[in-house]
Amino acid sequence: MSRGFEPPLPLVIGGLSGLVLLLMAASAAVGYAPFDVGAAASDLLAGRETLPALILADLRLPRALLGAMTGFTLGLAGAALQGLLRNPLAEPGVIGISGAAALGAVTVFYSGLAGAFTLALPLGGITGAFLATLLLYALVGRGAGTTTLILAGVAISAFSGALTALALNLSPNPYAVVEITFWLLGSLTDRSTEHVLLALPLMAAGWLLLLSGARALDGLSLGDDTAASLGFDLKRLRLMLIGGTALSVGAAVAVTGAIGFIGLVVPHVLRPLVGHRPGRLLFVSGLGGAALLLAADLGVRLIGIRPELKLGVVTALIGAPFLFSLIYRLRREGA
Amino acid sequence: MARWLVAAILLLTAAPALAAPQRVVSMNLCADELVLQLAERDHIRSVSYLARDPAGSNVAALAATVPVNHGLAEEILAADPDLVLAGRYTSQATVALLKQVGLRVVELDSPATLDAVRAQIRAVAGLLGEVAKGEALVADFDARLAAAVPAPHPLKGLVLRPNGYTVGQGSLVDSVMTRAGLVNLGADPALAPYRELPLEALVLAKPDFIILDEEESPRPALAYDVLRHPVLRHLPYRMQAIGLPSRLWTCAGPAVADAVAALATAARAMEAAP
Amino acid sequence: MRIEAQGIAVTMGGEAILQEVSLTCRPGEVLGLIGPNGAGKTTLLRSLAGLVAPDRGTVAYDGMSLGQIGRPRLARRLAYLAQEADAYWPIRGDRLVMLGRLPHRRPLAGESAADRAAVAAALAATETTALAGRRFDTLSGGERTRLLLARALAVEAEMLLADEPVAALDPYHQLHTMELLQAAALRGAGVVVVLHDLTLAARYCDRLVLLHEGRVLADGPAAAVLNDENLARAYHIEARHLSVDGLPVTLPWSRIGADYS
Repeated sequence: MSRGFEPPLPLVIGGLSGLVLLLMAASAAVGYAPFDVGAAASDLLAGRETLPALILADLRLPRALLGAMTGFTLGLAGAALQGLLRNPLAEPGVIGISGAAALGAVTVFYSGLAGAFTLALPLGGITGAFLATLLLYALVGRGAGTTTLILAGVAISAFSGALTALALNLSPNPYAVVEITFWLLGSLTDRSTEHVLLALPLMAAGWLLLLSGARALDGLSLGDDTAASLGFDLKRLRLMLIGGTALSVGAAVAVTGAIGFIGLVVPHVLRPLVGHRPGRLLFVSGLGGAALLLAADLGVRLIGIRPELKLGVVTALIGAPFLFSLIYRLRREGA
Repeated sequence: MARWLVAAILLLTAAPALAAPQRVVSMNLCADELVLQLAERDHIRSVSYLARDPAGSNVAALAATVPVNHGLAEEILAADPDLVLAGRYTSQATVALLKQVGLRVVELDSPATLDAVRAQIRAVAGLLGEVAKGEALVADFDARLAAAVPAPHPLKGLVLRPNGYTVGQGSLVDSVMTRAGLVNLGADPALAPYRELPLEALVLAKPDFIILDEEESPRPALAYDVLRHPVLRHLPYRMQAIGLPSRLWTCAGPAVADAVAALATAARAMEAAP
Repeated sequence: MRIEAQGIAVTMGGEAILQEVSLTCRPGEVLGLIGPNGAGKTTLLRSLAGLVAPDRGTVAYDGMSLGQIGRPRLARRLAYLAQEADAYWPIRGDRLVMLGRLPHRRPLAGESAADRAAVAAALAATETTALAGRRFDTLSGGERTRLLLARALAVEAEMLLADEPVAALDPYHQLHTMELLQAAALRGAGVVVVLHDLTLAARYCDRLVLLHEGRVLADGPAAAVLNDENLARAYHIEARHLSVDGLPVTLPWSRIGADYS
């Protein structure tokens, strides 16, 4: 008898998509000042340039969109990494990719390159993410144990952190330390449509690469040899997933800072809903990530703490206990 | 009021008990500025290295001729000072150590009102035994202040510091804006919860202008990114940005009067323009 | 499908695992790969499956190299069952077997009727239909092995390569699995199976290839390969040869050089 409730896939996807849209609408309705969203929306649609319409178009909608895009990226990348590395503790933050992306973005920013051409900042994030993913793969190889993976991630995070501190030290800007410390904690505040347009193409390219690995990830659950015998080119798969992770996570981090734990929590929670199949989990996990991040961003604005809680702090508050319980459970199973 | 008391006590106790200090060390930028403007050159052992940075210091030229320290206990001790001036936020560990060793350390607060500026100038002058020079500096300050004509109408302004921080009531900037005839929206109780002002709140407050800390050579800073946000370009009302170096309003000194004058001038220019 | 290996040599980690191995796998035939531990059986099987590129020599599938036939096409015609096969994620039984249909699935297509039929047939053949709704991690070792065999059968390939498929099974299922392999060969598929059990090898394989230290020591029918000289040289054992129901049975009996007094 199979335990657990596994609804049909269209239902899962439909339900999660609906949730994401709902949360995006809520995100547009919630803000810092009393605001009539209905009036603003009708102003916007009618083309009337009132202040509420402006705030809706330039501030709230980009924030909602970026929240959904970033959450989707993190959920998707987390599921892909867990499928590839066959390890439930893999996710861009825990294994150091987000930290390296942040380093890339910081370096580009303070060296003044960010002003040189618009794509410089996300490209910096992507380069950092890419190098970290390659390094991780070299260290951990295929299907290495949990301990090795986490240690590799800790090493990469520590190294990125040290280099980031160095970059800050060398930066001519006296505010550098303070602002980067906060930026690193992740935030969606006061992002603009420019940020959305900047990140979207690169993220979308990353999403395509990651989603195209769905079948191969299913095959990979039987082991490297069996997957190869089923016709999958494992080298190509690894490249695609590494590339996809680097592109999407790199672009996301460059725009929003390092937000962690989404890629850890969401795949784990949603996995039973897709019968533990890694291929199906990808898109579903993306939607779940978008929903979770939007919810966290709503929380950040609804909780009355000032200065505003950073998004990365909230996801860490949710995610770290989750990680602890996950480790505990794995330890009991003898992993 | 308290400032006057402190100054008076210092003057009364310092004058008969000690002669003017011969070896003064300053560890704080604001103290540097006053020391460099008030004390005899030979009496200054060292000032902080920040005094030499023209972007942040009003006395960069004066500081060039005097040795600098980096706020380390070793350096201070090596200079064998008879008076050390520090700031409220100078490293507590260092200050405690210097006091423990028996040095005379005086910690200066940041002045919050124009009166406090005058009081601090006089207090430091008293410490240095240069009362006359202190009075002259205050007179200079008052003269510049008198020359600054306030803006005709109380335009509404917001100070935008990096990362969206603004300044509220009870700060020197607030006093400067008020003296220049402007309204500091940051002092509005409605904005009180936000130490960090989100753009939404800023836009809805409808300021006539925002005051930015502008440096001569803008260095890349995430904090300034928010100023490039498209929403500021699309505003349905007129809002202007006024750049004012923050060094003018950070420390007690005649430079504060320059800040008042600059703001008033900018506000008048805004009104005159169509 | 016919697989022809010519003079293949494989070195791993500085050690020569296979040296100068040539053999042919034919359709309709059960070929048994036997030999002592470390002889190179798994490596040879993997080379035949196209999972390891030999350092020297060639492997040809109906005359074509791996590059010519292409991995996706080969995957539809060749099924590989790894030694100590496992599934990492706790997938449901029938979904696991469905993974065997992946080579046949079109890029964005769902499961076809043919897919479902193949899975049902594989489950029935391995007597694992009852396990279809069970999660993999709730199954016993033997049940898992049989389910994974069903996965390999679901590919409906012309050539089936199995690495020690009976090692963890009880006698009933050992016999059953060997019978399945034989049945597949009778239907026209080619089967290559790595075995440790000489009795099973002798009984169910049409031909045996005995590997010793990376080389082919003997290649032929069981009776010819499992003679005393080969057994002594490769395994360092003596065996008793019996006949049961008219079929030859080889029983490993004693170790050479051991003192049994």
